[in-house]
Parts: sequence; C-alpha cells; structure tokens
Amino acid sequence: MNTAFHPADLAGIQVRPSRLWTQSLGWILFAVGIALYAQFSIARHKENPEDRVVPSAQQLIQGIKSAALESAEEDDPVDANAPLIERFSHSMLWKDTLSSSKRFLIALVLLIPAILLGLHMAVFPYFGALCLRFVTFFDKIVALSLLPILFIVFGIEEWSKIALMVIGVAPTLILDTFNIAKGVPREQIVKAFTLKSSDIDVTYRIVLKQVLPQIINSVRLNLKPLALFLFAGEMIAATDGLAYRIALMRRHMGMDIILPYVLWVALLLFLADAILRFTNRRLHPWYQPL
Amino acid sequence: MVSAPVTLSPAHLAPAPAAAIAPARATEAARVEISLRKVGVAYSAGKEGTKTVLANIDLEIPAGEFVVLLGETGCGKSTLLRLMLGQEFPTSGEVIVDGKPVKRIDSRTGYVPQKYSLFPDRTVLENVMYGPENARAGLLGRLTPSFWRFRRELREEAIQSLTRMGLRPQDMKKYPYQLSGGMQQRVAIAQALLMKPPVLLLDEAFSALDPSTRSSLQELLHSIWAESRPTVVFVTHNTTEALLLGTTLIVLGRHRDEEPEKSNVLVAQQLPTAQLPFAQRCNSAEFREQHEFLERVAFASSSRYRTQPPAQEGCHA
Ligand SMILES: Nc1ncnc2c1ncn2[C@@H]1O[C@H](COP(=O)(O)OP(=O)(O)O)[C@@H](O)[C@H]1O
Ligand SMILES: [Mg+2]
Repeated sequence: MNTAFHPADLAGIQVRPSRLWTQSLGWILFAVGIALYAQFSIARHKENPEDRVVPSAQQLIQGIKSAALESAEEDDPVDANAPLIERFSHSMLWKDTLSSSKRFLIALVLLIPAILLGLHMAVFPYFGALCLRFVTFFDKIVALSLLPILFIVFGIEEWSKIALMVIGVAPTLILDTFNIAKGVPREQIVKAFTLKSSDIDVTYRIVLKQVLPQIINSVRLNLKPLALFLFAGEMIAATDGLAYRIALMRRHMGMDIILPYVLWVALLLFLADAILRFTNRRLHPWYQPL
Repeated sequence: MVSAPVTLSPAHLAPAPAAAIAPARATEAARVEISLRKVGVAYSAGKEGTKTVLANIDLEIPAGEFVVLLGETGCGKSTLLRLMLGQEFPTSGEVIVDGKPVKRIDSRTGYVPQKYSLFPDRTVLENVMYGPENARAGLLGRLTPSFWRFRRELREEAIQSLTRMGLRPQDMKKYPYQLSGGMQQRVAIAQALLMKPPVLLLDEAFSALDPSTRSSLQELLHSIWAESRPTVVFVTHNTTEALLLGTTLIVLGRHRDEEPEKSNVLVAQQLPTAQLPFAQRCNSAEFREQHEFLERVAFASSSRYRTQPPAQEGCHA
C-alpha cells in the first residue's frame, strides 16, 4: 500500500490520516483563534494602550492573578509568599467556583428522582398513563418564565436558583429516561419474568441496570442546560458565583476577568463531562453504543 | 405400544380435532400440559374495526411432547406462543398451562426468543444463574450464609450446563456482545433450562443462525429434550427443521376474513419421523414424503418455498 502523503488526500474521503495528522489537526483551530485574538488585541493597543475591551496578554495575566491568587476579601488577607494552592483557596475565583458548584451538585442530586420517575413511567403502564401527558406539557413551559414565581415562592436566596435548574432540566430528563427505558426490548422483560423476577427486579435489576449508561449519557447532554439555568439565576439574583462575577465585571468593563472566567467555566463543564464519560466506560464495560 | 406412523394427506387440511394429537410415547395417557380452547385473537385495526389473527384454535398438547409450530411469516405463530407465555391474552377462549389458566408471565414457561435473548449487562455465567437465584431468595434472603452456599453449588451446576451446551470455560466470563449469535443462543437455552420449567417455548430461536451452527444446535436441543423430556413448543418457518426436531407438528395458516370461523390450524399431527433415530431422520422416506407434502400445505401461497427441493443429503435447513 502506498502510504506517501499527497496534498490531494486532504479533501478525499477514502483516506486514512495518520495519528500524527489527526492529533495536530485537532489543535490548529485553537492556534488560529489565539493568533487572531492576539492580532486584534495588538492592533487595538496600538491605538489606545489603555484599551480594556480586548485585553492584552499582560492584562489577562494580571486579571487571572488578581482573580485566582489574590484574596477575595480585605478582612481575609493571604500572604503573597504562601503556596499557590493556599493563595488560590482564598481567591475570588475559588469562592465563586465553590458556590456555583454547590448549587450545581445539589441540583444534580435533586434530579435523581426525575430519572426514577421516568423509569417507573416506562415500566408501569398505569403510572405512565397517569404522568406522561402532564410531563410532556410541563416540558413545554419555558423554565425562565417561571423565575419570578420562583423568586416569590423561594425568595431570592439559594433555593430559587436551584429550583430553576431542577424545574428547567427535570422534564427533559424524565422524558429522556422514559424513552430510553421504553426502548428495552420486550423480550428482555418477558425473559426476566420467566426467570422468576419480581416487578422490583424487572424495574431496577433488569431495566435500570441495562439503561444506566444511556441515562448517564443523557445527564451528560443535560449538563449544558443545567449550567445555563444556573447562570440565568446567578446573573439575576446572587451575591456570589461564577455568573454573578461575570455579570458584575461587565459593569466595570472587566474583560481581563470575564475572559478567564468564561474559559474556566468551559473547562469545568468539559471536565464534568469527561469524568462522567470515563466513569460510564469503567462501570459498564458491556455497553456497546451503536 | 407405539402408535402407528401417520402419513399426511390432504384430508388433514381440515381443522384437526383437539384429540388428533396423541402422546408420542403412548404407553400411558400422558398429562395434558398446554391446552387451548376455542382461542381467538383479534387486534384493533383503527377505522376498519378489528383484524382477526387467530380463530377457533383448539389444541391439547400432552406433557413431554416436542411440538413444532410451522407456518408462513405473519400467520400468527408468535402470537400463539405469546398466549402460552402469558404475554398476551386471547380475545376469546382460554389458555391453560400446567393445569392453570395463564394469567401472567411466570416461571412455568422457559422462553428463548430469536433476538435479545440474553441480558447484555450480565456475563454468561451471571445470565444463567440469574433465574435460579431469584427462585431461591428475595433480595434480603441473599444476605444469609445459606444463600452463598447455594450460590456456590448453583455456579457449579451452571458451569456444567454451559459446558454441556458447548461453551468453553473462557467464554463464561464474557458479555453477550462478545459471543457469536450461535453461542448466545446456546447460553439462552442453558439459561431457560436451569430453571427446569415444565414448558419450554422457542420462537424462531435458530432462524438467524448460519446453516452449520443451526444444525449443531438442532442436534443439541434434540438430545437435551430426549434426556429430560420437557414439553417444548418450537416455532419455525423452516420445514426441514420442523421435521427433524418434532414429535408433533402443528401447521398454521393465515386467517382469511372470508372464512371467519375457520381455524388457523391446517395440520395437527404426530410425526412419523419422530419414531426414527435422530441421525437417520433426514434421509428417510418418511422425511421426504412429509417434506414434499408440507411444502404444498404450509407454504402453498408462498412460491419462495415451493421451488425449494426437499433436503436430500444432510439436514441443512
Ligand atoms: N400487537 C399487535 N397489533 C396488531 N397486529 C399485530 C400485533 N401483533 C401481531 N400482529 C399481527 O398479527 C399477525 C401475526 O403476527 P405474528 O404472530 O408475529 O406472526 P408470525 O410469528 O407467524 O410471523 C401479523 O399479521 C401481525 O401484523
Ligand atoms: Mg414470529
């Protein structure tokens, strides 16, 4: 086989790029993005050295330093020579991350009943008939339009934001779980009953166990909407949190803080997704996605 | 006393009376295992009202029989099996298995479908042990030491049974997706058999397999049946397979709305080939005779089968 590379191959379908090619191609657009940004930033700084809209590398580094390594509160000073970890643990970025993550995780835990609800709807026909239409309708409510109601019911403290996340994502997750569990071949359930399974066995040990990898994938897809609702809540009413900071910095044109925050949030979501994907693969070696 | 071989003739095209099927080993009157009385099944078909699939089915299947259920695609074989299983209920008439009316799916019947026969999230061994574990103890009962002793013995029994089915030790820790289709069906049969159900229902269990895998599984199924004699209902649309395995043959035809009262049962008959040793069956004169007749009866409307010559050498279905 001729393995020599021809430029024409780049546009072909019947080609097999080497590992080196695929790895390096994956980074090219990142490099292009950074280069374009740098170009733009340098041009703006030539006109106005004080420009804050497209911060320069120095400004960004300064911003990251003040967000991630300097104490967030004046009454909680941290020694400038302390180890990085300790300085980070006193920083604004850390505190914002912590309070946002807390809301995020509580919402995730509160979504577990939604998964179980969808599972039971799929397995028990009467229960499914009872709930399906209502959930399908509920799913069409634009969760953000409920925000004023949530503020009135839960106050503007923590629970209104968490409730927004849960209410926003739960119907999707219920319906998704319902459909996934409905997709279990009838043969499996029949077989389970001939093997002396109880209803509980069939629900949890046959259906749930079998669809868990797909449900985890569904949760992965819903991380983004969850973050979206979290940010909506935090931007409107909060005194800390990642989105609160971003909204606050907008008033000061603090792009040197906003940009690192945006990338940090993306990184966190990317990691959460990667952890779930990895756990899924380790826990369910038998799962063969189509 | 062995009842005389029955040769099929066009006379049998008339719905056979329920008593037409006699037990194969007719030394004493065998207990009736499955009986269907005036069973009919109709599905609602939107504006046209209902669509009848099965009508007036009367069958008495004695214990220990190997019943092959033959018929062209769509004639209602699987529907009939689902009735015996308790997955569906007749629109009219009643279905009795093991002396009791069928009300729900339970462990009276073992079941081997064509696809999705194994739990994908369990290893081969876990799949096979799943049923007996359930039968022994509920979730709390699993915490006792006696359950763990039982489990160790069960494991040995499962390994033995899988070995009998032709699995190698290294296959037993594999997940179903790592096995070939033939291996999966071997495991599925072992899984059903370990529950020792009085009735074993197989729905086109070998239809997706290649001919050589298929014939080795046919031989295996026959010898297992001959050892412990469960009542088997084996659905197939393959004439050769039916004649090779069965002691009793039931041929279903498609229901026609022009004759609403006519039973789908075209033939219900003991098979003369069942008297022969397994290895000689497919080269026998009885086999060829039956085969030729069945190709005309069972698949009269489907030319695909009519052109297929009867198997002469070997039993490749
Ligand atoms: N749940 C159902 N609703 C409507 N029609 C059905 C249903 N199940 C089966 N049928 C119809 O019943 C007929 C027999 O089906 P089936 O028993 O699967 O046939 P076979 O197994 O002999 O190929 C088919 O025409 C099929 O369309
Ligand atoms: Mg069928």
